[in-house]
Amino acid sequence: MEKESHLWATCSAACPVHTDTREYVRRISMGDYEGALDVLLEVNPFPSVCGRICHHPCESQCRRQVIDAPVGLRLLKRFVVENTREYRVQRRRDTRKQPPKGKKVAVIGSGPSGLTAARDLALLGYQVTVFEKDSVLGGMLAHAIPRYRLPMDALQEDIDDILAVGIEARLNCEVGKDVLFESVKKEYDAVLIAVGLAESHSLPIPGIGSKGVLLGIPFLWDVANGERPFLGDRVMVIGGGNVAVDVARAAKRLGPSTVMMACLESREEMPAWKWEIEEAEEEGISIMNSWGPKAVLERDGKTTGIEFKRCVRVFDENKRFNPQYDEMETTAVEADSVILTIGQKANLDFLKGTPVTVDRGRLICDRDSCTATERGVFTCGEVMTGPGSAIQAIATGHDAARAIHHFLETGETLKLPQVSVETIGELPAQTAARARRFDRVEVNLVEASARIRDFSPIEPGYTEAQALAEARRCLACATGAVLDSGAQCAGCLTCVRVCPFGVATVERTAVMPAQQCQTCGLCAAECPAAGIALARFATNKMKENLEGFLKDCSPGAMKRPLVVSYCCMYEATTREYLREQSQREIEATGILRVMVPCVGRLSAIDLVSPFELGADRVAIIACREHGCMYTGAEELLERRIQMVRRFLDEVGVGGASLQFYRTETSAEASWPRFWQDSKRVLGELSAA
Amino acid sequence: MIVADPKPFQQIRGFLEDYRKILVLGCGTCVTVCLAGGEAQAELLASGLRISFSKDGKEATVLEDTVQRQCDEEFVLPVLERVKREGIDAVVTLACGVGVNFLSDRIGAIPVFPGVNTTFYGGNVEPGLWSEMCAGCGDCITHLTGGICPIARCSKHLLNGPCGGSEKGMCEVDPQNTECVWQLIYERMKLLGRLHEMQNLIPTKDWRPAMDGGVRRSVREHIFRLQYKSGAGA
Ligand SMILES: Cc1cc2nc3c(=O)[nH]c(=O)nc-3n(C[C@H](O)[C@H](O)[C@H](O)COP(=O)(O)OP(=O)(O)OC[C@H]3O[C@@H](n4cnc5c(N)ncnc54)[C@H](O)[C@@H]3O)c2cc1C
Ligand code: SF4
Ligand code: SF4
Repeated sequence: MEKESHLWATCSAACPVHTDTREYVRRISMGDYEGALDVLLEVNPFPSVCGRICHHPCESQCRRQVIDAPVGLRLLKRFVVENTREYRVQRRRDTRKQPPKGKKVAVIGSGPSGLTAARDLALLGYQVTVFEKDSVLGGMLAHAIPRYRLPMDALQEDIDDILAVGIEARLNCEVGKDVLFESVKKEYDAVLIAVGLAESHSLPIPGIGSKGVLLGIPFLWDVANGERPFLGDRVMVIGGGNVAVDVARAAKRLGPSTVMMACLESREEMPAWKWEIEEAEEEGISIMNSWGPKAVLERDGKTTGIEFKRCVRVFDENKRFNPQYDEMETTAVEADSVILTIGQKANLDFLKGTPVTVDRGRLICDRDSCTATERGVFTCGEVMTGPGSAIQAIATGHDAARAIHHFLETGETLKLPQVSVETIGELPAQTAARARRFDRVEVNLVEASARIRDFSPIEPGYTEAQALAEARRCLACATGAVLDSGAQCAGCLTCVRVCPFGVATVERTAVMPAQQCQTCGLCAAECPAAGIALARFATNKMKENLEGFLKDCSPGAMKRPLVVSYCCMYEATTREYLREQSQREIEATGILRVMVPCVGRLSAIDLVSPFELGADRVAIIACREHGCMYTGAEELLERRIQMVRRFLDEVGVGGASLQFYRTETSAEASWPRFWQDSKRVLGELSAA
Repeated sequence: MIVADPKPFQQIRGFLEDYRKILVLGCGTCVTVCLAGGEAQAELLASGLRISFSKDGKEATVLEDTVQRQCDEEFVLPVLERVKREGIDAVVTLACGVGVNFLSDRIGAIPVFPGVNTTFYGGNVEPGLWSEMCAGCGDCITHLTGGICPIARCSKHLLNGPCGGSEKGMCEVDPQNTECVWQLIYERMKLLGRLHEMQNLIPTKDWRPAMDGGVRRSVREHIFRLQYKSGAGA
């Protein structure tokens, strides 16, 4: 691989665990789904979970959005895990652990943060025990996130992986009740508190004790465990965040005719994701914005409704949560049940009477070192950070594992270094304006009326064709054209002249600023000094690659004519042709496929050298008509082919041996036909 | 800069019948810029030769290399050493004629063949198009012609034009592509407010500094044959 820019792609920088997005997407587009899974698992033990429910900060920061829409990274991730199951099971067996360190670590809580830390520490050779008060591992992933968004088997895949590294899980074992914190502390060399925020806040208003008032998290917990709490026919959910939306949508699936939400915030201010709100509304959930609960109405101890007062402002001048009400404007709504989902808190009762300090319900800790106030006691996840996302919790799990490892090795506290990553920044508007637009591959959710019948998953994953189509949309940011330091760049300006995006410039020698380069490779193909290469997906080593493919083929066994076929890999809808061929397959078919991300980046020498290596014919298969990602590539390639044909005529090979085809409908449907055609024409020629 | 065009492949191929180990040598300066003889072109020619040799059943090795300039000793020395070390028996250079000479003067009993036809001193008037602009005559007269050279750009090298073949601004020799330079000079002198000067005849040109006075040399005394470099100063 050529040297890459030191700049981070914005997607990876935005991901709390810095997933190498470009690389896994590249591997998908090359049909290497297993390799893509390797990239994911490198930093994230929960790829199946994240493929379903990650709030995908990567997509929010994807540079493609200034062109059209961000790359569908979450669904690509899901595609990878759903298509590598066997490999993943086999991979588990090959996990390498460091030799036992002879030290023990206790992890309290089996949410994503705790399990991440447990896995890291087990891999480092520590003996790890996870204490979980529930009967199932996974924390909120197992108990709160409704199954229609995160099916249990997706979570289970990740957990099986994690447990496979050798972690003892003590289920139904609540620290503070089934075992005391102090005794855990005594038995283990380090203790990690990863208990999350398992309790919901309540409200000090009249009627709150009436029968029919429920709390959000316990409600979801019960539903996840197959229980069906009494809701009646009209349900009011209080809160405007994502958890509230989950509560309302889960309630809707239990059969009441009316589910409503009410929150202090205006529609624009609601903290829930926009798409979550829209999906809830599609399911028939109505939202009352800018209302604050005043009293729960009750009759004979049973909830009958709720009274609201107008909320005129949620945040004060300093953007602090400080709601103001107009007590004169009120409204009352009938309801059989009210579910409060207005925030979460930790249950830290198990620390009472221990030296670990808890202040007003909060664990006192230092986020930079993941430590609590007591030596040897660490923390991570939401109990440390407050409410967040699964992937943030995972990131803190990694941090905690590093801190604990350091402590157990040196006896000292590790201040986690503040890594500041330099990103490539936004795609400049003038470059974006010249880029071709390609619609994001969207999947259709199940119809709302069918969705609300039960807890079945509502979102289909990508098919292989969809995943391949979406993967090609990635701009492979910051992996574009680089001038080789040893190149004889004469500042000839050819790169400047052919670059479709106005990116390349010459400052004595060629400069292709990473911020703008679209990685089309056209400059590299035309550089007369053969001095430009792409950092990823380079084609400048084409001849060596071809030699590699052919070196073990026996010339006698090779089926003639031998066709070297350069194909636009972006047209593949399955990985059948993306996969590397065996020598035997090449021999038996006389076809050597070379997948190229846009055949427009093939230089003249790439088109000629196959003949040198023994090919009888070179068949270029481009994308479909007007299908090219890159402005200008088609014209440049056409001209180059004309030039090379003239040269081949001169050399004596015959220009007709260089053939050009355009994909029709799909690779699978048309390429075999082209290969046959390519062979046939050659036969006729040589016969003549 | 110097502009060149690739020689016909078969002509180059014809040079090489008697050789077994051939080096194709690109040049990183003018011929790279005019897309005739840089590294990419050297690779292409070398590949073409290998294909042609193997088709004809001729056993020969074709190597390729490119240096920054073939008209400076320091840049060509490593190539000369390589030629000796590797037993190369012929060189095809894609540099302009200067490179062919420069190598031939230094390489000993190894033939050097031209891979391009050196054509003119010109400018890149638009992407993919170079046009002749100077003839290297040794006695520049463009101060008289508004900065436009009639020697290089007039098909008949007239010093006092135009001739009767100037039609609608184009030259009768190639009315499709070539502008009449005397029309250009006229327009330019007008723009500069110097049209009246065109009433003066340009006197007969001194051609001695051109090819007539023998082989031309340029000397810069301030760094020419420094004594301390030759060891004479010590
Ligand atoms: C309804 C809901 C929806 C969400 N949706 C998303 C989403 O779509 N995308 C996203 O990225 N994030 C989502 N999140 C957030 C995500 O689930 C959390 O960020 C994450 O689970 C926090 O992980 P954690 O490890 O800190 O703790 P948790 O997941 O809270 O796990 C803590 C675990 O500790 C156990 N525990 C607590 N006390 C004890 C004790 N004394 N002894 C033993 N065990 C104990 C608990 O039983 C629990 O299993 C959602 C959260 C909720 C509540
Ligand atoms: S285009 Fe690709 S590399 Fe660039 S930000 Fe989006 S996903 Fe990341
Ligand atoms: S031609 Fe393509 S690869 Fe080269 S600088 Fe421009 S965008 Fe980048």
